[in-house]
Amino acid sequence: MEPLENEELGTTVAIHAGFPNPAAERKGTPLSLDKLLVHHPSSTYFFRVRGHNWHRQGVFDGDIAIIDRAVTPSGSQLVVWWDEAGSFALSQLALADRQRVWGVVTSIIHPFSS
Amino acid sequence: MKQHVYALVDCNNFFVSCERLFRPELNGQPVVVLSSNDGCAVSRSQEAKALGVPMGAPHWQWRDFFATHGVTAFSANFELYGDISQRITNLLASITPHIEVYSVDESFLDLTELPITDYTEWGKAVRADILKNIGIPVSIGIAPSKTLAKAANDRAKKLPELGGILDLTEQGVATDRYLAGLPIGDVWGVGRQLAPKLHAEGVHTALDLRQLYPPRAQQLMGIHGRQMVEELNGRGLLPFQQAHKPQQMIMRGRQFGQDTSEFYVIEAAVASLAARAAASLRHERHLARRASVILRTNRNKPGYQRLEASVRFYTPTANTGTITSQLVRMLAHDFNSHIKYHKADVLLHDFVPENSLQADLLGMVNLAENTRSQHTMRAIDAINRKYSKTTVTTAAEHLSQAWQPKKKLVSPRYTSAWSDLPEAHLIEYGYG
Repeated sequence: MEPLENEELGTTVAIHAGFPNPAAERKGTPLSLDKLLVHHPSSTYFFRVRGHNWHRQGVFDGDIAIIDRAVTPSGSQLVVWWDEAGSFALSQLALADRQRVWGVVTSIIHPFSS
Repeated sequence: MKQHVYALVDCNNFFVSCERLFRPELNGQPVVVLSSNDGCAVSRSQEAKALGVPMGAPHWQWRDFFATHGVTAFSANFELYGDISQRITNLLASITPHIEVYSVDESFLDLTELPITDYTEWGKAVRADILKNIGIPVSIGIAPSKTLAKAANDRAKKLPELGGILDLTEQGVATDRYLAGLPIGDVWGVGRQLAPKLHAEGVHTALDLRQLYPPRAQQLMGIHGRQMVEELNGRGLLPFQQAHKPQQMIMRGRQFGQDTSEFYVIEAAVASLAARAAASLRHERHLARRASVILRTNRNKPGYQRLEASVRFYTPTANTGTITSQLVRMLAHDFNSHIKYHKADVLLHDFVPENSLQADLLGMVNLAENTRSQHTMRAIDAINRKYSKTTVTTAAEHLSQAWQPKKKLVSPRYTSAWSDLPEAHLIEYGYG
């Protein structure tokens, strides 16, 4: 079997025994969370969610909100906006100050253990 | 031949704009960003300029003024600025691959081949996109030469009625009027040395220079001057440098947090600077034949001194360990512990391509050793890229942190550290 080349680490690993990997010839792309969650890398920012009153919506203190500024806010979307003191708020668009919308929330990541 | 069209996209007060992105309440407020070590103002908001804060205002002199006039000062947060700069470059590169990244906050685009009918409208759309998607205000100047695009950008930035866009592709009365408003000292390529010479000649504005007889410009300023006149007349002569230019010298330097005569503090600083310089060298896929380190005392104090140590590598190298140990050894030789040093610079020069060693037939290079060293370094770079820049370091870098610059007013690493994300507070969920 051909040695496997790990280009990034510059090391070479040779595997000489066992049944060859039948998928070795197929160069598929592994699934990428980046591609699933980030549609416009240049306009995507992450925020830390603060607050305890959205448990019914499945959103918890410490979650990570993914914000895409390229998305134009509409309908019942969740948005991040800012108040006069400069503090960022997360709410439905209807409850936000439309002049101060910073970006649209496209996903919220909640870890169950760390 | 078809006339060239270039756009210069320049971010307004870039560092301040990056800080305001995550502190929106500071829009409309005076803000400055300070240089490394909180030395002096390097980026000022319009409001700070209006208050009379000059470029390079030393922080210690202006601190009280900032406090009484409500000026918010930040230490430079280069991780943030680098990230935002990359986002803007990516967005521009999606418009055209013909892009020359001129600096952290300026890029030239070659629009010659793009089917644009109205450059002002095009500029407005690009400006709006960058403002909405990334959150940074930019100005755009469009013209048939880079010098003229620079001039257009300057006018677009300074004349509010232009809305940040100026198209100078047509050479006529309107363009003359804009150039008449541009002082000669602000023309790209003129600078502090040439400006007095031109004033003496009666050339006070960009328009005067545009109308200067080209042979006279050449007499005054050499071929460079003639080129400027041609460029201001809309004949693009300056090359568009799209390809990445390999560096000929790499320098990494820092002021110490406080002046020091402790060798171990200086050794730590040199090790850290050498590590960064060597990583940059490997990124360029180069090896260095020479390295030097320069220590300086504070220029503003009497008895300015400078100590330089150099080493020449028989086998060119990009190995952090080799470079660091040789530099420190040379430095130790000449070190005087009675002098308090203020700043250290590490320089790498005299480069050869990484793969040129394989072709060395003289047999003077220890190839096996060199290959092993390259693999080790590549592994370290990969780990540091994946985790953080300082995951794998040489032991000498940790001898002391006392050399680290002061950054008392630095903002969080909003876009590059999970621990520093901006926070969004949930407000009562509404129904209906």
